[in-house]
Amino acid sequence: MSPAKKLHILKQDELDRLLRWLDPDPERAGLTYEKIRWRLVAILASRGCTCPEELADETIDRVARRVIDIQDSYVGDQATYFLGVMNNVHHEYLKRPMMPRQPEPDDDVETKERTYLCLEKCLEKLSPNSRRMIEQYYAEDGRAKINLRKRIAAELGIGLSTLRLRALRLRDKLQTCIDQCLVSEARPSRRAQSNG
Amino acid sequence: MVEDRNNSSEFSDETIRRFLLGELSESEQPLLEQQLFTVAGLGARVRLAEIDLADDYAFERLSIADRILFEERFLVTSKRRRELSVSIALRHRFSRARAMAAQSKKSTVNERWRYLFFFERPAWKIAFGVLMLLILFGTVLLVVKEPRLTEQITNKIVPRRSAPRSSPQEMQHPANTSSPEHQTPAAPMPLHDSANPLSESLVLFPSSPDLGKIPTLTLPNGEKGVLRLRLAVADQMVRYRAEVLTTDARFVFSVDWLSGPPFNVDVPASLLKSGEYQIRLSDARDGSKKEVAGYYFRVR
Repeated sequence: MSPAKKLHILKQDELDRLLRWLDPDPERAGLTYEKIRWRLVAILASRGCTCPEELADETIDRVARRVIDIQDSYVGDQATYFLGVMNNVHHEYLKRPMMPRQPEPDDDVETKERTYLCLEKCLEKLSPNSRRMIEQYYAEDGRAKINLRKRIAAELGIGLSTLRLRALRLRDKLQTCIDQCLVSEARPSRRAQSNG
Repeated sequence: MVEDRNNSSEFSDETIRRFLLGELSESEQPLLEQQLFTVAGLGARVRLAEIDLADDYAFERLSIADRILFEERFLVTSKRRRELSVSIALRHRFSRARAMAAQSKKSTVNERWRYLFFFERPAWKIAFGVLMLLILFGTVLLVVKEPRLTEQITNKIVPRRSAPRSSPQEMQHPANTSSPEHQTPAAPMPLHDSANPLSESLVLFPSSPDLGKIPTLTLPNGEKGVLRLRLAVADQMVRYRAEVLTTDARFVFSVDWLSGPPFNVDVPASLLKSGEYQIRLSDARDGSKKEVAGYYFRVR
């Protein structure tokens, strides 16, 4: 059993209320939700939790259920409220008996192949300049990498730090693209499985 | 390190990385957690640091300690595992590209060398063909013009079988039973020259210079020919020196190493004139030239 408490099933109206509390605009509310969740996960992982995603969801679940009580009286940044609740959840987590972490299974061959396929697709979607930059950024390793990055930075007239930031942003973009690609690639196979 | 301090933090990239690996001190941790929720831009930096860390792990740029922390503290969410999968895919993608580029570069260099020195160029093909033809003609010419050379080569490769042991003397003395190899080539004509056939032979016994009883030889017509004088010696185990002299002791001919039996002295007819001669026999081994026997003969 997971060290996180079994989550209560979040009712749709509780989730909608949470999102409205975060931002009246549903799209922005969704983005804020994702950002908050990601931060919670990062902090819980940094604290050494073996199941940060579950604890983050438990935190959000608790906040969602309390929104109805605090939404009119709460003053300040809503995100910091999550931090307080998370501290409680984490405190409770530490009191639970520690369960050995189950090793995550490696990606199967099919997933790896789909990842490579999506990588190629997403590289093609990049602009020529961006693609050239990412290819050069990853082209060399060791001493050659340092020299190459210096050369690219000099060509672009930017510092190494700026080059690194740009490359990492492209890499982040690539990651998002690949994540979406993997989801869209998985859909037909799931559909096929369900039909079969 | 990226120091984007505009509004995001007083935290360095190294501090953010230590945060991700769960290595911050108790005083640093709550401060960064608080600012992660409140300070604009810090979240983006942490996000990029996550990707950077996954890349470093995939490209094996982390220390062993950091690799362990990465696996235990960082790789605990599905999203981070996906990030690592992409980092690994990137590594494979670009290491393959590197390898292909290196292979292409190598093969290009190889092809250039091959093109330069071998048979890609028609000129080299023709030159090689001409060279082979020249070698072939040269070999044929050598065999035709220099058969002895061919024989030598053949002898080296396939050693000749030795002659049958039944006739060794014939091999060494094919024309007669004399021993020319032991005669000093002081004479102007070689003894076994086919132009100087054996003309006459005579057995001589040691004698005193009693000219009335000495044996007589007849010179052949012309100067060609050899007169054989077979000396009767007391000790046949000794190797002798034989000097042919006139009776007034003028040197005519000599054999420095005369062995036998038989002890033959073949004197070229051209060296002799009508008259009386003597042969002084001495022991060749001590070099003293002390006479051990004397022989006399007459030529007509």
